[in-house]
Amino acid sequence: MLQPTWLRLWWRRSPAVGVPAKNLCLRKVASAVSSRGTASPRALNIFDRDLKRKQKNWAARQPEPMKFDYLKEEVGSRIADRVYDITRDFPLALDVGCGRGYIAQHLNKETVGKFFQTDIAEHALKNTLEVEIPTVSVLADEEFLPFRENTFDLVVSSLSLHWVNDLPRALEQIHYVLKPDGVFIGAMFGGDTLYELRCSLQLAETEREGGFSPHVSPFTAVNDLGHLLGRAGFNTLTVDTDEIQVNYPGMFELMEDLQGMGESNCAWNRKALLHRDTMLAAAAVYGEMYRNEDGSVPATYQIYYMIGWKYHDSQARPAERGSATVSFGELGKINDLMSQGKKSQ
Amino acid sequence: MSGKGAVWSRVRSRLRAFPERLAACRTEATAYGRCVQASTAPGGRLTKDLCAQEFEALRSCFAAAAKKT
Repeated sequence: MLQPTWLRLWWRRSPAVGVPAKNLCLRKVASAVSSRGTASPRALNIFDRDLKRKQKNWAARQPEPMKFDYLKEEVGSRIADRVYDITRDFPLALDVGCGRGYIAQHLNKETVGKFFQTDIAEHALKNTLEVEIPTVSVLADEEFLPFRENTFDLVVSSLSLHWVNDLPRALEQIHYVLKPDGVFIGAMFGGDTLYELRCSLQLAETEREGGFSPHVSPFTAVNDLGHLLGRAGFNTLTVDTDEIQVNYPGMFELMEDLQGMGESNCAWNRKALLHRDTMLAAAAVYGEMYRNEDGSVPATYQIYYMIGWKYHDSQARPAERGSATVSFGELGKINDLMSQGKKSQ
Repeated sequence: MSGKGAVWSRVRSRLRAFPERLAACRTEATAYGRCVQASTAPGGRLTKDLCAQEFEALRSCFAAAAKKT
């Protein structure tokens, strides 16, 4: 008769062992979501997406959100430049991780007919900037785009893919929703971003506490970006890099601005606490190691811009081997060759 | 960032005073920064409390600046 009671005790205790109830539910939801469709074989879970949504909501609800918009505005305008460089107009476009809509305000009605903006933070979508293009705001995660295949002529993404857990899958989703001969233009933070902050915190934490933990999230390397885009199925890739350096009075102002942008750390392996002593030490090290002449400190943002096309028959393909009509040795006479070609036409 | 945010805003307001107090301790901060930077030179090793003296000077200057304001 002892056995049944023992079994009952065991059954009541096991759901709560070590894990509080609310975390149990979270874990269940996370696993259900990642098993949907085909996750990459090494699907990583680096970032706490729920916390990132809370941080972005908080940032969007600040009294003066435009105070922290300078970086995203600048990158948004550069992406819009690249859209204009393509001599085509796009009836239907999508902005993945739009924030308050930094790209849409630089585009005009002739280039983009209708604009879909998605973000994980609802407050950011509620406070989007005024644009002349008709827009539709959709609350969606970058990894789970709720659109059908072959929907969009243009997909843009500005500075939001660096918080995505499964980047190969996100790029595959973008490729999926693009029409054939559609283009994806994206901007992501690169490996050198905030290296001054990373180094200062590392050195200060080592000196003060004897070890250090990562405070700046990991970024994609430029070679990996090319591989990822190719793996997702994009053609005719272009990746170029740009560095924006912003000067701040000190490290504390930089950290406050990063938080105001909604770019606070949300990696699972982050340390919950940063001691005041360590912060003070890091600010001193930052100021001494990287200071400009006028006393301000720089922060580097390295941006990778990528352009990828979805395959279409009309796109240029590499020529067949052995189909050359002219040899490289005749490169010096190229003017004559071209004028001959024009005459024969 | 929960509830009324009383604790969080109090901590944040204290943190906002850090930059000006740090500006008042420019020499100590430079000395500490130089000490840490010297350890990053080839052949140097950064260990815990390598620059403890400079940091104590910085911290006492910082506390004095806090008392003044």
